[in-house]
Amino acid sequence: MTDPTTQSRLPTPGRYLAVVARYGIVWVTLALFVLLAVTTDGFLTGPNLRNVLDQQATLLIAASVATLTMIAGGFDVSISAVAVVAPLVALRVENATGSVAPALLVGCLFGLGVGTANGWIVAFARINSFITTLATSFVVFGIGYVASERSILRPDGDGFQRVARTRLAELTTATWISLAVVAVAWILLAGTRFGRHVYATGGNAEAARLAGVRTRLVVVTVFALSGLASGLAGVVAASRTISATPSDDFSFVFGVIAAIVVGGTSIAGGTGAVWRTLLGAFFIAFMINGFNLHQIDPIWQRIIQGLVILLAVATDAWSRARRT
Amino acid sequence: MADPQGADPARQVAAHLELRGVSKRFGATQAIDCADIVIRRGSVHALVGENGAGKSTVGKVISGVYAADSGSVIFNGRRHRFRSPRQAFAAGITALAQELALVPDRSVVDNVFVGVESTRWGFVARKDMLQRFRSLVERTGITIDPTAIVRTLSVADQQWVEILRAVARRAEFVIMDEPSARLSAQERGQLHRLIGALRDQQITVLFISHFLDEVLELADAITVMRDGRVVRHTEPASETAGSLVDAMIGRELEANFPPKPPRPDPSQVPVLRVRGLQHAGQKGFVAPRSGRSESPPRTPQPAGLALDVHAGEIVGIAGLVGSGRTEFVRSVYGADTALAGDVQVAGREVGRHRPRRAIALGMGLIPESRKDQGLVMDRSLRENISLPHLRVVTRAGLLAGNAEREFVATAASNANVRGGTVETPVRLLSGGNQQKSLFARWMAPGLKVLIADEPTRGVDVGSKRSIYDLLMTAARSGLAVLLVSSELEELVGLCHRVMVMREGRFVAELSHPDLDEARILRHAFGEKAAAAQIS
Repeated sequence: MTDPTTQSRLPTPGRYLAVVARYGIVWVTLALFVLLAVTTDGFLTGPNLRNVLDQQATLLIAASVATLTMIAGGFDVSISAVAVVAPLVALRVENATGSVAPALLVGCLFGLGVGTANGWIVAFARINSFITTLATSFVVFGIGYVASERSILRPDGDGFQRVARTRLAELTTATWISLAVVAVAWILLAGTRFGRHVYATGGNAEAARLAGVRTRLVVVTVFALSGLASGLAGVVAASRTISATPSDDFSFVFGVIAAIVVGGTSIAGGTGAVWRTLLGAFFIAFMINGFNLHQIDPIWQRIIQGLVILLAVATDAWSRARRT
Repeated sequence: MADPQGADPARQVAAHLELRGVSKRFGATQAIDCADIVIRRGSVHALVGENGAGKSTVGKVISGVYAADSGSVIFNGRRHRFRSPRQAFAAGITALAQELALVPDRSVVDNVFVGVESTRWGFVARKDMLQRFRSLVERTGITIDPTAIVRTLSVADQQWVEILRAVARRAEFVIMDEPSARLSAQERGQLHRLIGALRDQQITVLFISHFLDEVLELADAITVMRDGRVVRHTEPASETAGSLVDAMIGRELEANFPPKPPRPDPSQVPVLRVRGLQHAGQKGFVAPRSGRSESPPRTPQPAGLALDVHAGEIVGIAGLVGSGRTEFVRSVYGADTALAGDVQVAGREVGRHRPRRAIALGMGLIPESRKDQGLVMDRSLRENISLPHLRVVTRAGLLAGNAEREFVATAASNANVRGGTVETPVRLLSGGNQQKSLFARWMAPGLKVLIADEPTRGVDVGSKRSIYDLLMTAARSGLAVLLVSSELEELVGLCHRVMVMREGRFVAELSHPDLDEARILRHAFGEKAAAAQIS
């Protein structure tokens, strides 16, 4: 079946363009990195890069797993709520017991519980996942206010901050945790049966079902994992700042979605990859880092960041339209 | 409808609409081949033919859904080239679609006058609209509550709304594509009276139907189509249902089928055993809607279906579109929940709604629509073929790339898939190769029952032949094969036995020497007149 002369039906310039477009995020991130390394003093230094890695840790934890949700055709906005409230719950446990391990466990299980609930509602009540997770977000934010009695929580002992702030081989444990989560999500998606089922479910749920994929189980699982990762991200963030504040701030999930989308994972589901999210996150992080090093007004940073996201989504829509 | 009295009398007797040498091609399929049709003003003109003969395409070319590749449409003596249904509509041509196109949450009046509302100072004038509605009702004899919400109406009433809308727009040419397929006997009577009323108003009706008695009763003129060509222009007085069926088939069995493997001994234990199966297609063609105007269920409480398929046997499922063929095979596979009954593969129970279980027991389904139900179009050939077999290529929890590639390469070459590497996204393959990739997916070790629903639809001639070979190979290697097809020659050329379905049930079982196209079609149509023709 592999007649080498018919390997691709695209003409050569088209094939060249397709390769460029397909790996666009790689070239763009590399180009930005080189540009900043050459033009910007203080960018290509150990402390600066380690700092970028540390700052991106919580976002990467949530975004690498949320990539699976998006590829399966789901959209999880409860990431913010879980990341805000899981550390509040965890710190209540830490304050009560004085030990860190149960606190971490409860924080993560809280996220897993919310995510599983989201998944069940989406898969079995067939409510649109954006609406479902928007609604559960409010519930979770409310739980946060109740659990914290509307005050900032701080850990009693030093153990809690060591979770994210310990240095291991020059990098913080927050960075190591995030790299581990990225690796797990990457392998899960690219190397296992479950990952294939995620792609198939997001690409064509009916075809997947007829090929024997338990599509509803896939949906429940990706939302559950997304909740778990968001809980972990929240706990790591609280450990970095040694505190947790109740709020109803949705901004975290927007950063997560921006990283996924800029990386090139389609919001329509069915295509994407964890490595794309990794690059998307670092593209945005380098951009902001560059702005800061050049002391560009944060207001302008937002405008440019917004335009970059639009460009990424427009590129996706454009390449999709050309296929048909 | 546009004031026929004022029209030029010479034109009135002449053609209202004429197709001259119209052709339309979709990929490899010549849907219409140089068709000439003349339709007189104020007549009811019927268009009949097998599934896929090109009837609906003719309707869609006239109504502007498709542009003809060549030839011309002459309407009211002028050549037209409608680029959209909107343009045809503006000229006075309305199509009642097979799928209704109404705004379900608005009232009947709102739907009838959408786009041509009465207004006063920019506001909708309801009283005036109700007045206009009453005059419409008088002209057509349709009675329907103008304030009813369309969603709550029966399918029949929704069709009346569409017809009222057409008349309200002063349509003078109405295309009805299978209008009676979803109606009860009583509603059909209403439809027939309505068509009479339209004719009295000098509105021309192009009537596309599978129901030959209906055609013979209503039509002033009949055009028979076959394989995209017009094969006969005739009048009901000179035809019978049987003579129409003959004209619709009219071709020799082409010798392009591979030889059939010998028919297995029917006394063997069957591989696939279906008993008492009741499926969604038996309940009538459309799920009943709640609402004030109830339509009686089309069929009395149906009996379950029973079928045995032996190893090495190819059994065909024939029937008209909507006869329940697809619903039946989907229930066998567990794709749709069967209402009752049981399905066994090699003596093991499949259960009612589990494709996963069906696959585990050795069934594979090539569904009706490869694009919507079969393939994940954006993913590679490799991922599409290996999807149900990933367990086989998993080592220690991880997919083994080499094992998978080997598995897929073998499957793809066995099924003769061409036109790309295993990493090519399937959407870049031709329709025929997409279909063959589904054969590649299923024809793996462990398969016992292969169900193929319209496997050659929209496929070029070469791929068609490959697919026939694949089906024969499957049977020869001991699979039980269930083949749904609209192409009669395919059923006759490939199958050992053909079950004919009508209204959700098996109405005949045909095998050599009784297996021929005319018999299948006559049972599928089910007219007594047609059945009498056999002898």
